[in-house]
Amino acid sequence: MRLNSFLYLKPQQWGRAVAHYGASWWRMLLLGAIALVLAFSPSTYTRAHRRATARQIYLGAWQVLPWFTALSALISLVIIRIVLVTALSYGLSRFGLEMVVRVLVLELIPLAAAMFVALRAGMAFNAAALDPLAWDRSPQAAWQLQRELAAQVSANAFAVLSLAIVSSVLVLVLAYLNVYGLSPWGLDDYTRTVGRVFEPTVAIGFGLKTLMFGLAVAVIPAAAMMEIRRFGRGAASTMQPGAVRLLFVLTVIEAASLAVKYF
Amino acid sequence: MTDPATDLATDAPPHIEVKAVILLILMTSLIVAFLLYVMYARGVFEVTQRLVLVADDSEGVIPGMDMTFAGFAVGRVRRVELAPDGKARILVDVPRKDASWLRVSSVFTIERGLVGDTKIKAYTGILTDPPLQDGATRMVLRGDTGAEIPKLVASARTLLENLEAMTRMDSSLNASLANVQAATGRLSGRYGLLGGALGGDAQASKAMLALDRVNALLASADRRVFGKSGIADDTQVAVAQLNVVLQDASASLKKLDAVLAEAQAVGKNARVATDDLTVLRAEVDSSLRKASRLLDDINRKWPFAPKSELTLP
Repeated sequence: MRLNSFLYLKPQQWGRAVAHYGASWWRMLLLGAIALVLAFSPSTYTRAHRRATARQIYLGAWQVLPWFTALSALISLVIIRIVLVTALSYGLSRFGLEMVVRVLVLELIPLAAAMFVALRAGMAFNAAALDPLAWDRSPQAAWQLQRELAAQVSANAFAVLSLAIVSSVLVLVLAYLNVYGLSPWGLDDYTRTVGRVFEPTVAIGFGLKTLMFGLAVAVIPAAAMMEIRRFGRGAASTMQPGAVRLLFVLTVIEAASLAVKYF
Repeated sequence: MTDPATDLATDAPPHIEVKAVILLILMTSLIVAFLLYVMYARGVFEVTQRLVLVADDSEGVIPGMDMTFAGFAVGRVRRVELAPDGKARILVDVPRKDASWLRVSSVFTIERGLVGDTKIKAYTGILTDPPLQDGATRMVLRGDTGAEIPKLVASARTLLENLEAMTRMDSSLNASLANVQAATGRLSGRYGLLGGALGGDAQASKAMLALDRVNALLASADRRVFGKSGIADDTQVAVAQLNVVLQDASASLKKLDAVLAEAQAVGKNARVATDDLTVLRAEVDSSLRKASRLLDDINRKWPFAPKSELTLP
């Protein structure tokens, strides 16, 4: 249910529309909760589920990791260079490194990883939407799909986490090499800078944000997919299911994280 | 209905589970390593000693910031708290390996520049002093660029006010400049420097007139003094006459000289005569004394002589 569709409804239908909208969000949260419960239940880890999860991890993380890492390293290198040169030209070189770590590692890399996995997951769901199973409305099929989606949810969350962490570590190494070169003598100073940036609240915020990005990317398209399957709504749309909602949630998480950290 | 697991199994790439497990292990170890590195960077594993810095104002001091010694970080602010006496207590953790740079005579400062964050610095003059004890409390000095700005602004304001007073229309500097302008205006007038010095062309013209009259006076004086039968001529005649008089005087003086020589000779004779007179007088004196003695003898021997005796009452 899109928000602007209210404009095309009679006022007496607004209540129903709001109820639909709320129910859609509720189903999304429910799926997220089911996925989490399934992820933490030992009974879930049957051979079939393990294989499904392994397949999703393979698709979402293993295949993507080299390309994403290379791409993010390239872009990060450019940004690191720009930031350091600018800081140096203003005589603020001691703040350049801190800024690189704050901007890239804490903010941009997790967001980029989430976006990347969301795109990839969306494509996977579009393919799934064409699956005949998606149109089977029997309870067994629904349960089957839910299990498969649960595997996909945990795999996607893991993919976001792994892309973000690998790229973050790589960016930290690149930043060090850019500032100090191959000399090991800057390590103490650099470690101190990293330690200064990663205050306990910032470090916990970073972890939580990455985790929530992972969950959002995993759950929202899956919930949208389930909705399509259940109600047949929006299947004809060329837009990736849940894309707008996903972007909205990612923005809210990022904004909330920034607000907590800097205000 | 087909089993999706079977479907997945058929089109799955080889060793998919192994790859997934490898990835899981790699990621987990990477996350753990990253966490450990951040903890190390935060100084969780360091053995530290506590240093308490007491400051009037802890503005800009935040937990996690470094305390430096000679540009090297030797400590990290752990906590900032307000003491019951209203002073700020900055609790600094100093790693044991760096604590040797801090001695009992060390001085600590908080510096705040215009750009950038606040810095806590330690200075140690005598490295042979006893080391700083764990939990030591030290006062911290404050060097604040920001605090200097109001003073600077106040000074600049005074300066600007003075400048404004100097450049006002009715200021003394302006008046002086106007006077200078008037003077230079007069200097460039008809009578030039004379007009400038005397205060106007009218005065200068009077001065010129006076000069003309002085000139005329000088010409007339010249005529009277050096002209024909002027004072100079009369003076010359008088001088010639004076010369004759002087010659006469000289001759008279010569005569006087001769007279004086004569007088000198007379004086010499008189002195000799005076010497002889002294001898003569001595002889007369003795003759007189003899005569007096003779008379006394005669008186004594004379029977009618009055008795000269004294009777006491």
